[in-house]
Amino acid sequence: MNYIELASQFAPELILTIGALAIMMIGLFLATSQKKVLGYLATIFLAVASLVIVSRGIYDLQMDGILADSLTIDPMSQFFKLTFLLVSLIVVIASIREYDGHSNQDEYYTLILLGTIGMMVVASAIDIVTMFIGFELASLSTYALAGFNKKDPNSMEAAVKYFIIGALSSTLLLFGLSYIYGMSGGLTNISELAVFFNANPAVLQSPMGIVALMLIVAGFGFKMALVPFHMWAPDTYQGAPTVISALLAAGSKKMAFVAAFRILLIAMIAIKIDIAMVFMILAIITMTLGNVVALSQRSLKRMLAYSSVAQAGYISMVFVVMSPEALTGGILYVMSHAFMKTGAFIAVAALGYMLLKENSNAKDVDHLDNFAGLGKRSPFLAFSIMIFLFALAGIPPTAGFVSKFILFYSVLKGGFLLLVIFAILNSALSLYYYARVVKYMYVLPPSSDEKLKVPGAYALAILLAIIGVLAIGIVPEPFVNWAASAANVLGL
Amino acid sequence: MAVDNIVYLIPALPVLAFVLTLAFGKKLPSGGGYIPILAIAISCIISILAFLQIYKTGTPIEVSAPWFSVLNVGILIDPLASVMLLMVTFVSLLIHIYAIGYMAHDPAKPRYFAETALFTAAMLGVVLSDNILQLFISWELVGLCSYLLIGFWFRKPTAAAAGKKAFLTTRVGDVLFLAGIVILYSNMVEHVLPHITGNETVYLLQFSTIFENIHHIPSGQLTIITLLFFGGAVGKSGQFPLHVWLPDAMEGPTTVSALIHAATMVTAGVYLVARTFPMFIASPGVELAGITIPATLTVVAYIGGFTALFASTMGLVMNDIKRVLAFSTISQLGYMMLALGMGSVIGAAAVGFAMFHLINHAFFKACLFLCAGSVIHSTGTNDLREMGGLMSKMKITGITMLFASLALAGIGIPFLKIAGTPIGTSGFVSKDAIIVEGTYVFAHMTNDWIPFAFGILAALLTAIYTFRLWFMAFTGKPRQERHPHESPATMTGVLSVLAAFALVFGMLTFVPFLDFVGHTYDHHEIEHLAGLGGNHIIDHHELHHIITEETSPIIFLLPVIVGVGGLLLAWVIYNRRWINVASIGNMKNPLFVILAKRYYQHEIFIELISLKFTYGVLALTSEFSDRKIVDGIINGISSFFIGGAEVLKKIQTGVVQNYATATVLGVGLLALILSFRGVI
Repeated sequence: MNYIELASQFAPELILTIGALAIMMIGLFLATSQKKVLGYLATIFLAVASLVIVSRGIYDLQMDGILADSLTIDPMSQFFKLTFLLVSLIVVIASIREYDGHSNQDEYYTLILLGTIGMMVVASAIDIVTMFIGFELASLSTYALAGFNKKDPNSMEAAVKYFIIGALSSTLLLFGLSYIYGMSGGLTNISELAVFFNANPAVLQSPMGIVALMLIVAGFGFKMALVPFHMWAPDTYQGAPTVISALLAAGSKKMAFVAAFRILLIAMIAIKIDIAMVFMILAIITMTLGNVVALSQRSLKRMLAYSSVAQAGYISMVFVVMSPEALTGGILYVMSHAFMKTGAFIAVAALGYMLLKENSNAKDVDHLDNFAGLGKRSPFLAFSIMIFLFALAGIPPTAGFVSKFILFYSVLKGGFLLLVIFAILNSALSLYYYARVVKYMYVLPPSSDEKLKVPGAYALAILLAIIGVLAIGIVPEPFVNWAASAANVLGL
Repeated sequence: MAVDNIVYLIPALPVLAFVLTLAFGKKLPSGGGYIPILAIAISCIISILAFLQIYKTGTPIEVSAPWFSVLNVGILIDPLASVMLLMVTFVSLLIHIYAIGYMAHDPAKPRYFAETALFTAAMLGVVLSDNILQLFISWELVGLCSYLLIGFWFRKPTAAAAGKKAFLTTRVGDVLFLAGIVILYSNMVEHVLPHITGNETVYLLQFSTIFENIHHIPSGQLTIITLLFFGGAVGKSGQFPLHVWLPDAMEGPTTVSALIHAATMVTAGVYLVARTFPMFIASPGVELAGITIPATLTVVAYIGGFTALFASTMGLVMNDIKRVLAFSTISQLGYMMLALGMGSVIGAAAVGFAMFHLINHAFFKACLFLCAGSVIHSTGTNDLREMGGLMSKMKITGITMLFASLALAGIGIPFLKIAGTPIGTSGFVSKDAIIVEGTYVFAHMTNDWIPFAFGILAALLTAIYTFRLWFMAFTGKPRQERHPHESPATMTGVLSVLAAFALVFGMLTFVPFLDFVGHTYDHHEIEHLAGLGGNHIIDHHELHHIITEETSPIIFLLPVIVGVGGLLLAWVIYNRRWINVASIGNMKNPLFVILAKRYYQHEIFIELISLKFTYGVLALTSEFSDRKIVDGIINGISSFFIGGAEVLKKIQTGVVQNYATATVLGVGLLALILSFRGVI
């Protein structure tokens, strides 16, 4: 394979790499007041990369391993890459206003693009070393981004906690992967690993294999925010800049899912019973704890963080059922959740921005009380928050309903009645805290009658997310088909 | 053929008129009332074209398109639908024209005309549907519009209450109807679908599919389905015991009453039974005097006949001019149901009789209502006791109403037939057919004289209350100082047209009408279907034989005798006043008390069933269990979880060392669980 061909296969990643470097360079020559331009540049690079993915489609893909069998371009990788790109795109658009006039915008946009590249590498990786490198690239970028508001102690705290637990988890993951490497006699390619372990299942079923599995699950569980590896998430999502919380919840969290799909469901399928059992426990405690604790949250960001924990619990049911339908549901859920969670965080960010503009000393701008009467103060924002929350709760005609329906139905079809009952009860429970926000926005009186004007950049970002949520909800067919062909890749 | 391509406009134009009137009515003269008039006029013209085509070619117009899965949307205009179409569009058109004058002073005209346009469209939808589901959807829309229109003056508490009552009462029927459709559908899926072979598309709820496959449906199911359908018809057509909404429906504008009582809504129930007649005739039979007749049709006959008599007794004592007419509507609808029920013996000919009476009734009842409207418009009162001597002031109204009253009372000349057509008012022609060729033949075949008795007694009472009304309003001396005046030309013009129809329509169309509508269903097909339920129906020749050879002249005379007798009685009491009304009609006479109190229906239906039982027992018990038990559980659950949330929140210490510990512990615990999986 020559370089031209290689470049065309990885055009989206290359575009982002060029973009990241260009933004860093150009930023050096720009005065702070002009750096807004970098946001537009980042937007363009992300948009172009997304278009490249969309235009290539999912058929006629070169699915063989590329670059010494370390990467692949298959429907699964493309699906996740598009999800990451769109999340980053929405986040960047919202950031243009959020960080307008900030002196470090060049680093900011560079980091977002680099983080996105890391996620995309993970989506394509079929080699455990490559995957780990992508993982780290995304992690390191997001550690820095979480602490981007460096004068805000909360942001710093968020970044440090994220970093410490992240470092620990990376260690666990790497440790687990090294066991795999050792046990297999030096294999790193996922399909080769699968062949080896299927031939020698006893290796994985040994205590060492179990420990390796646990370490890998912990490493992924950290990013996915599964209980009990989730504890960093509420603190970080709350303390980090809100737009970055969106990136974490919708982007980097999903990266762990695609990696886990490949490693657990292909390489380690020989111990599927153990995997199913572990995730049965994790899924149930994750969704229950996430939803129950979310009930008592008064900070919207923290509430969304716990809701995000709960949603990870739903998606991880895929590892229990392991059927093509469940995987389809899970993959679709990833994209749906990306849109609705990004949208919700960005909408909260927009409100915070407007409240801070009104009164620069305002504290806890994401507190529930600030949402009282929002329906009167900013009908657009209130309505879009309502759509996102209803989508998260799984109410038609939103993406949340479609993906939840497919996923839950597949769990039921897989014969896990108890699990699906848990999931449905949890969904019902979650409606309480989502609907409470809607009640605040539409029923309670506003604290001030002044209208709030949503800045254009935020409005555009929110609108994109709404389009995503409603498109999947109203015309699910093409998305489901794509998710199904992505699921086929794993050959379950 | 051109007409096939434009028949969809028949319901579409009134819908369009609804939208336009609602949107722009405020800016147009007469509240935009000319838009629905134009739309319905065009619908009427298309209906006429469709009728002419069917009349000439003898083949029904069928247009159908798939909806989804095994369901379709479509239009079926067979003779049955065709005559209904003509009647609905024509009467509705006249009522709309009349309303321009009648509603002239009402500020909410755009809403009025928009709603009546939608009402008409919905009724046309019922008539045109080629499948039972589409019919049901239109049927529900009719119910909604009736609610809106009866409660048109919604600021008036009685009007709002009447709208609600109409909606809720007909809802009872609607639920039965829907249940019937659901059972029918499941039967079609279970028993009919397996028999359909090949690639042809079949729409399960289309009438033609249903009728062709009746023999696959178990007969017990057929009884249930038809009874449930009839339940729906009982609600919409105001049959006992769901008739209670109809008298209250007078609270709307009089034009609405005319629309509901003559052209739309109440006839929907009769139409439904006529439309699904093949299913009724195929339902399993009961044995009566040696012959087996379809059970559900017998139920239809008894309910209809009883309603005809029951409602007419109450019509005797009402003092509100519109209420008298309301009870008369219920009673006449009873006749139509009675006629359909006679199909158990005379087969598809019964559909012709019922529809003929339906059409004639539409004309004379619309005329009566609009005359009443004219009277109310000029005197400002509904109370007959406050009227009197109006003839001198309102000649056109008085004469047109007299004609319509003669039709309602069924006055005509017995025995005299010219070219097979009896001579008399349209009410005479159609009612006579029901009583003689329907109930009498039924009695002759089965020895069951009860339907015949219902018919004759109701006819007597009808004549009495009709002329009581007319004599009280138009003759004698004015009982109150008022200044009545004749109504404007838009109103009297319509009255004259309708009165003319009330007089001669029956005579002019008797033979061709029955022949035309009688061909809706093939006689052999009906005979075959009746055979499925073990029923025997007589054919045309037998019917003719019975009528000409085995019927004593007194039977032919009886309807006219009671009609004229009733007229004379009313004349004696209310015009000549030879008998003092007060001596009979006072509260000492228990019979009068029962009638005046309307058989204590209010006490039974509203106070006992609705308030005491449904509200007092069911609703309050449910409320108690909902508040205390269900809410208690819910509150318990929610406080459990919210309390749990407060506890679990504490796990989140905010200390990052604890988080790391949790991570490592998690790995350890899971590894332990997995390791001891075999042991556990």
